[in-house]
Amino acid sequence: MTAAILDLSHPANTVHWHFFLMSVSNVVVIVLMLLVFAVAIVAPFPGRGVKGPKK
Amino acid sequence: MSGPARPSWTGAVRERAVRALPPEKLLPDSQPAYMASWIYLFGVLSLVSLMLIIASGLILGLKGPGWWHFTGVGHFFNSIHLWSVELFFFFMVIHLWGKYWMAAWRGGRARVWMTGAVTFVVAIPCALTGYVSQQNFDAQWISTQAKDGMNAVGVGAFFNVTNFGQMYSYHVLLLPLAVVALVVAHILLVRKHGIVPPFQRSALRKPPVDPTEADEHPVLAREHAPGNGSPAAPHPVSRGGGL
Repeated sequence: MTAAILDLSHPANTVHWHFFLMSVSNVVVIVLMLLVFAVAIVAPFPGRGVKGPKK
Repeated sequence: MSGPARPSWTGAVRERAVRALPPEKLLPDSQPAYMASWIYLFGVLSLVSLMLIIASGLILGLKGPGWWHFTGVGHFFNSIHLWSVELFFFFMVIHLWGKYWMAAWRGGRARVWMTGAVTFVVAIPCALTGYVSQQNFDAQWISTQAKDGMNAVGVGAFFNVTNFGQMYSYHVLLLPLAVVALVVAHILLVRKHGIVPPFQRSALRKPPVDPTEADEHPVLAREHAPGNGSPAAPHPVSRGGGL
């Protein structure tokens, strides 16, 4: 068995604020999804605005 | 023998299928220009992830737990299986967000939206049963925790998460079958109705108008026109198929 890149032999780190309780890894994934969602809307798509062949 | 031939059920099914999905709709070689946006890619990314999940899962199933726990190549395919599931949900959630904010059920696409939403719901237990199918102490620990959750919501009599045979059957056959069937239905419905167009910016600024006056109202008439919320008429600008 090879060791994990990160030390996993400890309880999960959590983000705890009032009623909100979530593991750091889950928070990271959700923030990444929000970032990718925003970039997918804002980032220009290659070839956008290029007109197709006229009929 | 003379007289008109009696229609057979196979002929009727074929005619109905071709009428609903003619070849140019089933496998289009062009897409509407509004699809030139990154947000339209997440459906096909989810689909590719699902293919990776199934391919790696088939290999894991063929080789068995001794292979996926104790060999280097087995670890590799185990990781492929895990990370393709992570990507599947990552892309599917972004796909769902995108379609939600586009109101992708517009233009007679309610069944497209519903099959997508149900796929998401069915995919969750499909993935979670994988945790209890690993055949290691991690699976045992998770199943004893999950058992309390299942009993707490009153379904422990139907789903015994500590029963490996039941969970493995759910994970490798019953739930994947349901997910794949739903995805196939979802894709065929997308092909039938076309990709949902974005909202017309001008239509959003206008005050609400009685829909019966749509013919007299230029904005509503455009909104109800083919390719603008109603079953799509592709504009041959953007090349390649999309989901």
